[in-house]
Amino acid sequence: MSANRLPTHTGATIDFTFNGRALKGIAGDTLASALLANGVDVVGRSFKYARPRGIFGHGAEEPNGIIQLGSGAGTVPNLKATQVELYQGLEAFSVNGWPSVDVDIMGIIGAFGRLMPPGFYYKTFMYPKKLWMTYEHFIRKAAGLGATPVKDDPDSYDRLNQHCDVLVVGAGPAGLVAAREAARTGARVIIADEQSEFGGSLLASKQSIDGLIARDWVASLVAELGAYSNVQMLPRSTVFGYYDHNFLTILERRTDHLGLTSAHQVRQRMHRVRAAQVVLATGAFERPLVFAHNDIPGVMLASSVSTYVNRYGVAPGNKLVLFTTNDNAYQTALDWHQTGRDVVAVIDTRRDPCGDMVVAVKALGIDVIAGHGVIEAQGNKRVKRALIAPINEAGTEVIGAVRVLDCDLIACSGGWSPAIHLSSHTGAKPVWDENIVGFRPGESKQQERSAGACRGTFDLAGCLAEGATAGADAANCSGHGEGSTQFPMCAVEAFEEQPQQALFLVPHSKSTSRAPSQFVDFQLDVSASAIELAVREGFESVEHVKRYTALGFGTDQGKLGNINGMAILANALNQSIAETGTTIFRPSYTPTTFGAIAGRDVNNLFDPERYTAMHRWHMEQGAEFENVGQWKRPWYFPHQGESMQDAVDREGLAVRNSVGILDATTLGKIDIQGPDAAEFISRIYSNSYLKLAPGKCRYGVMLKEDGMIFDDGVCACLGDNHYLMFTTTGGAAGVLAWLELWQQTEWPELQVYFTSVTDHWTTATVTGPNARKVIAKVCSDIDLSNEAFPFMDWRDGTVAGIKARVFRISFTGELCYEVNVPAHYGRHVWEALIAAGEEFDITPYGTETMHILRAEKGFIIVGQDTDGSMTPADMNMDWVVGKKKTFSFIGKRSLRRSDMLRENRKQLVGLKTLEAKTVLPEGAQVVFDAKQAIPMSMQGHVTSSYYSANLGHAIALAVVKGGHSRLGQIVHCPLADGHTIAAEIVSSVFYDPKGERHHV
Amino acid sequence: MSNAIKVESPLNYFHGSFNKSSASDSLFNNQVDCDLVIKEAPLSAHLNLRGDANDRNFCAAVAEVLDVSLPLQPGTYQRNGGSSIYWLGPSEWLIVQEGADPASLEAALRESLTGHISIVDVSGGQTCINLRGTAAATVLKKSSVYDFEGWDGATANSGSVVQTTFAKASAAVSNRSDGSYDLVIRRSFADYLAQWLLDAGGEFGCRIEQG
Repeated sequence: MSANRLPTHTGATIDFTFNGRALKGIAGDTLASALLANGVDVVGRSFKYARPRGIFGHGAEEPNGIIQLGSGAGTVPNLKATQVELYQGLEAFSVNGWPSVDVDIMGIIGAFGRLMPPGFYYKTFMYPKKLWMTYEHFIRKAAGLGATPVKDDPDSYDRLNQHCDVLVVGAGPAGLVAAREAARTGARVIIADEQSEFGGSLLASKQSIDGLIARDWVASLVAELGAYSNVQMLPRSTVFGYYDHNFLTILERRTDHLGLTSAHQVRQRMHRVRAAQVVLATGAFERPLVFAHNDIPGVMLASSVSTYVNRYGVAPGNKLVLFTTNDNAYQTALDWHQTGRDVVAVIDTRRDPCGDMVVAVKALGIDVIAGHGVIEAQGNKRVKRALIAPINEAGTEVIGAVRVLDCDLIACSGGWSPAIHLSSHTGAKPVWDENIVGFRPGESKQQERSAGACRGTFDLAGCLAEGATAGADAANCSGHGEGSTQFPMCAVEAFEEQPQQALFLVPHSKSTSRAPSQFVDFQLDVSASAIELAVREGFESVEHVKRYTALGFGTDQGKLGNINGMAILANALNQSIAETGTTIFRPSYTPTTFGAIAGRDVNNLFDPERYTAMHRWHMEQGAEFENVGQWKRPWYFPHQGESMQDAVDREGLAVRNSVGILDATTLGKIDIQGPDAAEFISRIYSNSYLKLAPGKCRYGVMLKEDGMIFDDGVCACLGDNHYLMFTTTGGAAGVLAWLELWQQTEWPELQVYFTSVTDHWTTATVTGPNARKVIAKVCSDIDLSNEAFPFMDWRDGTVAGIKARVFRISFTGELCYEVNVPAHYGRHVWEALIAAGEEFDITPYGTETMHILRAEKGFIIVGQDTDGSMTPADMNMDWVVGKKKTFSFIGKRSLRRSDMLRENRKQLVGLKTLEAKTVLPEGAQVVFDAKQAIPMSMQGHVTSSYYSANLGHAIALAVVKGGHSRLGQIVHCPLADGHTIAAEIVSSVFYDPKGERHHV
Repeated sequence: MSNAIKVESPLNYFHGSFNKSSASDSLFNNQVDCDLVIKEAPLSAHLNLRGDANDRNFCAAVAEVLDVSLPLQPGTYQRNGGSSIYWLGPSEWLIVQEGADPASLEAALRESLTGHISIVDVSGGQTCINLRGTAAATVLKKSSVYDFEGWDGATANSGSVVQTTFAKASAAVSNRSDGSYDLVIRRSFADYLAQWLLDAGGEFGCRIEQG
């Protein structure tokens, strides 16, 4: 068995590798405990100086054991070895250290550590500025911090939206009893804990509760909670963010501990919780002591040493020196003594420690050296010696001779810092408390309360009592229970403890600036002298010092270093810690994968794709698709070997010479009913609908209050007080909201209802000289003659056996029938029309050909030829503005403003390139004088541009200043590549200017 | 040309689809044990009804024609046999009648209702799917932020309904007395939602059936 594994601890063997080395652990290990069991001292290199670093903590606070897990597509960077559960075949690598943790090129820089003060990178690599990118590349490569996977993530993730009455964060002693009290009331309870099993600190505790050993008590309580159907228990679940309105996010790791990749198993799940009430029972972090070379592998937190011994059966060393400012840490000496390994001495900074625990340690014959501090650790890749010296009562000076203690493990404890992170997320400002020597949660900003160690209550009895009260209170505030605790108080043995000493920087025989580095933030190599230097350089605000020194910037977010750092800063500034304040924690509490945040909204589910009833027919025909809003519309239907231009040329010629068919389903359709429908519609469109008779259609444009076009389409009168409004595809939802807005807020007296029928109707547009013949083959109950069914009329009828509405409206300028049927019959009718058109070589066409055909006719597309600054007059569409309407319409007043009447407004015109085959790029700027020096006077721009096979030349629509009075003039479009295209301003109607073809 | 009229419900192309880890693709879906079974209802008449909830004659006439009382309590529905009325808003309801001809139903309603009302046939634009199985509630939690667990249970003739976001689309979700849920979804989003549900339900086993 491994060197450091205690013989009493057994379990199934697990094989894993670390930096390629094959090692063995035991079921239940974390990667950190397994590495320690195997005697792996160096797990990484520090960020800046590349100093060798070992495991320091045992949980979320770990600053050094940062690893890359796995390789290939599933690799995960920057995990904490203390939080990675061991599984068979686990592969882990140090993130820092290049080419390896044992031989590190950056270590050469590290040897010159004194040359790298805070702000080193800013100061050294800033100039010349253009080289910064080069410097940064090498600095980052050398400094490391993990590698992101370069392949697609093979795992699946999802989100779960949860609601509960009481969310308990943390399943240590306080959280467990809080959950029990809340559960009893019938409240919906969720209790989440980041560890693999519930129990928190009790998992490594030797204390007993209600006569049971802590672990057994936890097991009985977990079983009790499990019996409640109203309780949801989430282990391996980190509450990582606390947001407004009691919204909290939890990252649940479901398969990480199995090391599996399976598309069907959800690797991680983000719970998005709306909690009526929250109990924060997040515990506390032990605070390290800051002394010289306190970063050498073999220096650890006292509670971490106890945890490895008691929970994992790992003794991470042989000869322990315990260095403490408080009674609590003496437990570690007791725990270590039980392993049978040597406790060299307990070094206590206080003058005369004599609490119960101290007495118990002394009773074992362990040497307790009071009034002393460990002022320096010595060793290279492992602690070899501790230098101890007497220090003054204030803890500011070494006052006697230095002694050397041989040891290979220094456990240190500077007291405890409440884990106030989540409370801090809510905006509660932490409050410094001299009694606990730490920040307590500030005044609550949400429906939450803290209980136990995270509130500064560190004794077990106190945690249990506070947890129970908090649970009962939270349930009561959510409307459950009486608010008083119902279970008897848990019985625990009490220890008398003496006050701790507040000590944030252990003095050295040399001054801080001369002493070997005394590390405050291990991950980012921030030392006490660096903080003092920052103050000497003029930094005063804790927020500025944080950013200048990088204190708390690492993936551990300063969970260990922050308090010491702020205290050292306060001392350097000659002010109190309360005056200095603290930086505020923000989400995430621990790093969270993007996968869990994205959930299932990836790949084909990233954004909904909306399909028409004919979508699969289009796919079978090999259509290329275009995104129009969320719709997938056929763009063009290429035949074998055709280019896009070939296809649209063929499609466009077919429509003008025989017949084409378009899926126009995506156009927005709004059913409008009510006695005031006509009046309402007339106020919305710029033209009037009051006299539109049933069976008739009219084209209109809608303006915003500013007189600018925002949507257009045809509106049909279906019957008395009944209309159907067509909108653009992209504008459908916006227009419906617009109608509701005006009806509900401005004209509630108008009786009218709106209902979207976009999805109900499928629309097949059959257009071209042969369109009537095609329709006639599948429709026998409508008189299709031009006299009986003229342009801009619609008829009810039966098409291919299905009740249909047929509209004679045209966006191509050709004879056109738009056949609307309920969508369940959409494909049936479409295929019937295709079959009927076979003898005329009916040609399905897509949006590209649709765009070309309408441009040949000069029909605008709102949003392409207009951009929210175009009036009907600008579009040469004055005819669509009703001058005689009795009631105003939206935008009317604005059309009379002086700027609207300006003569040189950008106006819609046609452009015909002098070189017939040259197609102008859309968006090209228009100038009048091609020789003008840059910056040239921009006179307009091209809005639509195509090659027209029907006309045999390129066509474009453009908006040009004063364009309507410039017909026949030559303009120029200078392009980015330096050459210029000349074009003639012509009418925007290129084809069939008299509009005869659609009237046949 | 065949004279047969081909009808395609919104989930037509998904009937028989399933997603389950470890299940072979060669199995027919009814051989796969699934904790989420999605069944698309047969084509039904769906009418959107607008009117004045304070007008007793209006409420009485609707109840008379459909033999279902008009739900006036927000977020509820009423059912009687194959006819259901879902409350969608203070003046808006969805009528679903299984196997009915929408045009005849609309005509019958127009015959009886007077005043300012609106009746719109939306049968082609939406479909009703039922989510059944032990994973149904969990899949709803994956898909929507609404608190469905907060609902009181449904009876055979009434229950709760909410129009809410569902994945990145929308749905009218209601509960049934057998513990399953009905969703009314839009046709154009049906493909997306079917893929979403198959994906979200995959870990439990999920299949889509024709009703």
